[in-house]
Amino acid sequence: MPAFPTYDAADIAALDRQADAILGVFAKHGYQRREPSILQPAAIFVDRSGEEIRRRTFELSDPSGQELCLRPDLTIPTCKWQVESGGYPARLCYHGLAFRYRPGDAAQFHQAGAELLGLAGRAKGDIEMVSLAVEALRAAGLKEFDVKVGDLGLFATLVDALEVPARWRGRLKRHFWRSGYFDALLARMVAGEHSDAQRALDALHGLKLMELKPAIEALIDREGEAPLGGRTRAEIVERLTLQVSDGAAPRLDADVARMITGFLKISGPAEASLEEIRELTRPVATRMVKPLAAMAERLHALKALGIADDGVRFVAHFGRNLEYYTGFVFEFWSRDGTEVAGGGRYDSLMESLGAPKGTTAVGCAIRTEALLAIVRGGR
Amino acid sequence: MSEPVTLAVPSKGRLKEQVDGFFAKAGVALQQTAGARGYRATVAGHPGIDVMLLSSSEIAASLAAGDVHLGITGEDLIREAVPQIEGRVTLLKPLGFGFADVVVAVPRSWIDVSSMADLDDVCAAYAHRHRRRLRVATKYTQLTRSFFARAGISDYRIVPSAGATEGAPTAGTAEAIVDITTTGSTLKANGLKILDDGVILKSQAQFAMSQAADWPDDAREAAAAFLRQLNASTQ
Repeated sequence: MPAFPTYDAADIAALDRQADAILGVFAKHGYQRREPSILQPAAIFVDRSGEEIRRRTFELSDPSGQELCLRPDLTIPTCKWQVESGGYPARLCYHGLAFRYRPGDAAQFHQAGAELLGLAGRAKGDIEMVSLAVEALRAAGLKEFDVKVGDLGLFATLVDALEVPARWRGRLKRHFWRSGYFDALLARMVAGEHSDAQRALDALHGLKLMELKPAIEALIDREGEAPLGGRTRAEIVERLTLQVSDGAAPRLDADVARMITGFLKISGPAEASLEEIRELTRPVATRMVKPLAAMAERLHALKALGIADDGVRFVAHFGRNLEYYTGFVFEFWSRDGTEVAGGGRYDSLMESLGAPKGTTAVGCAIRTEALLAIVRGGR
Repeated sequence: MSEPVTLAVPSKGRLKEQVDGFFAKAGVALQQTAGARGYRATVAGHPGIDVMLLSSSEIAASLAAGDVHLGITGEDLIREAVPQIEGRVTLLKPLGFGFADVVVAVPRSWIDVSSMADLDDVCAAYAHRHRRRLRVATKYTQLTRSFFARAGISDYRIVPSAGATEGAPTAGTAEAIVDITTTGSTLKANGLKILDDGVILKSQAQFAMSQAADWPDDAREAAAAFLRQLNASTQ
């Protein structure tokens, strides 16, 4: 695709037909169309997506100095609209241009997507969304595809079930998909090497719980007139209290590390992979039952849609490399290896936009131009 | 004669004084070009070299764009202007002055933070608790992004800072900063501390070559002759 594409009459007609087919599926299942503004205030993306997305976002300012951007996705503005209007559960869909800096590729591209917001039953929502994506892709003319699935919740459950020093649980959950970085992190934990603020901790060990808070506050005061930034003293007290609870020299047990590494290596036909996980996590089986059953249910739903078992691949370290996913994640790939759609659960986004606590969210986005090229080429 | 080789040197500030001293030691005499109001000069004995006096950050940008052939400026500015330096700008010679470190610094009152891994924890907790990203003030946007990405940190946002970055946490416009420091005393005076593994770059002044500029053979020879003189006197 050229960097600055011009669409001719045939391209436009084909894109329109495809959009009609996809949006038709969304509408049939009760998804209402929304078209957020192309120009968006930059802050809602910067504060939700982090710098990784921002470096690919086109930012500009208007003559009054307000920071704007060309929407890098339609999910965040669509969700924001719902937070402001209220009323759950909500089923919303969109089709339009998104803008991202992609070296060697066009910065603008069409996306069709759907968001299911505030449905209490997560299992039901996951299945509805992945099924919706399948139906939309088929309506757009894609007959053959592979599905890749993962679940950030499975790994999080495993980490919580295992004997892991409390201070490191968050680190493990945040970084499991960064393969090189994660291996080094794990090795440091097993070796008991930690770069945590040791001096402060040494001063606190052996204190009783009720003595901790004043001791920590005294340590902060000793730094004199130093600023806090936007962090509160309570946040510092909380973090140090958690670290003290790990004891003087926490280490990650080597067997625990092996189980984590073994888990993250699992990748292959989905049914067989779940069996591998069951086998590997036998020591904490009771904790893993629920998330494993949820994944089995999703696989069952895909099977019911006529997707052959060997077409669904489970990848344990699959996190869609995006920061806001929290649970089930999926991608659809054409047989010649092009990603045509993806999505998943991102339960923390709605709350960060101001929705009531616990408002769920699951969605998908289809890369309509890539999909059209494949369908046209008969690949 | 063919097109001259352009050499950009700092036009003002501490770095200009140090470059002047370095040239004097190397026996390089700059002669101001009449009528150019001090923005152009020639080098005695090197007729193929045309000197332009620019600000340090303009020199880095000009090297990146290929607007000048050679330049002397801080490595920090070059690496910020040219994130993928390979094939674009070659650092020919570190000059032994203009030393400064680009560092990650946080409030000293954060007694629970001494490493990038700590900062990663804090960024994640902050985003969760405050529903916005922890702010890092800096003029080194590119260096900060790639260093934080290597440290696995993504829950933060950069606040561009034009000057007095070290005051941002006190002013309440950022939680942490990435800035340049020589002795660390300015950071200390502002209640900040450098993270143990928070040194992004140990910078000094560099004699650098732009690969984006045109380099006909005679230009290469003129540049090589000039570099030989610098090298001979500073071995």
